Amino acid sequence: MTILIDTVALVLLLLLSVGLLRIWLGPEPADRMLASQLFGTTGVALLLVLAESQGEPALRDVALVLALLAVLATVAFVTRVMQVARADSAGERRDA
Amino acid sequence: MPDSLVTLLQALLLTLGCLFFLVGTLGLFRLPDTLARIHALTKADNLGLGLIVLGLLPSVPGPATAAKILFIWLVALAASATAAHLVARTVRASDSRSDREDGA
Amino acid sequence: MKALDAAIRTAWLFVAWWALAEGEAAAVAFGLGAVPLIALLSWRLFPPGARRPRVLATFAFGGYFLVGSVAAGVDVARRLLSPRLPISPGYMSYKTSLPAGSPRWLLANTLSLLPGTLSVTLRGPEIELHCLDTTAEVHDAVARAEEHIARMFPL
Repeated sequence: MTILIDTVALVLLLLLSVGLLRIWLGPEPADRMLASQLFGTTGVALLLVLAESQGEPALRDVALVLALLAVLATVAFVTRVMQVARADSAGERRDA
Repeated sequence: MPDSLVTLLQALLLTLGCLFFLVGTLGLFRLPDTLARIHALTKADNLGLGLIVLGLLPSVPGPATAAKILFIWLVALAASATAAHLVARTVRASDSRSDREDGA
Repeated sequence: MKALDAAIRTAWLFVAWWALAEGEAAAVAFGLGAVPLIALLSWRLFPPGARRPRVLATFAFGGYFLVGSVAAGVDVARRLLSPRLPISPGYMSYKTSLPAGSPRWLLANTLSLLPGTLSVTLRGPEIELHCLDTTAEVHDAVARAEEHIARMFPL
């Protein structure tokens, strides 16, 4: 069982790194924002599995906080992009 | 249920969970646009997380911890659905803006 | 009725605390003092709404949602693993008859986790969805989800 749980952790870590490669490639800012979702699910799963294999209950709290922060990160991103977009369109109107 | 059967079931759930995470990551590379990638990431990864949580349930120390990881799964579900909606809305808004620019 | 609502909410908060503390005796004892205060605070901040979700319908919805999210994962997997990638993405809009507030919000979030749909914008009763496959019968699936939620929040 321990070997299996460790293997699962390794696989999840690998998938997380591959996902990060995609996010690095982009190209849109929204593509990059998917990183928060990736960590919100794969990262949470990885932490839960590690909490089991390392016998470290505190990691479950980290998983919970990570899931909550993932949404806040997205909200911050969306608010910023919307602001930039609004500023852009205001600039266009002035140009016209 | 005998222990070996529980272990077998656990192994099955954890492996299936990993496979769905693999599908989610595959989706990031195979799908053509951001919105389609959000589909894959939201649905496949949440199922993967659910399966891994179920697979871990028999090995956690007590019922409180079991309730906790189920609770974490629910939070992650709500978080993922909300984040998916927010990113999709932003993509949509910038899409319609570039449509207008193309039309002009 | 109000006292019962308050008791139920306090009990739920206590269960949540017990789970978060992983059942550790000292932490749970601390919760005995803290939970009533939190319940009081939450009562001031979020007074109970006029509509309380029905218990049986909520369980029915939970089952429907679980089956739906498994189907969603399998559906995505099937499309992605097929070499010719059978998708035809597109937008569609749906007018919901659900009342504003949590029912609509729940529908939008649920649809994002059900097969083939992703809620994009929510303007009044109008929900704009992104579909992975516009040739599939999306409309019926959305109507079914809506019906389940309508049963949870009786008018």
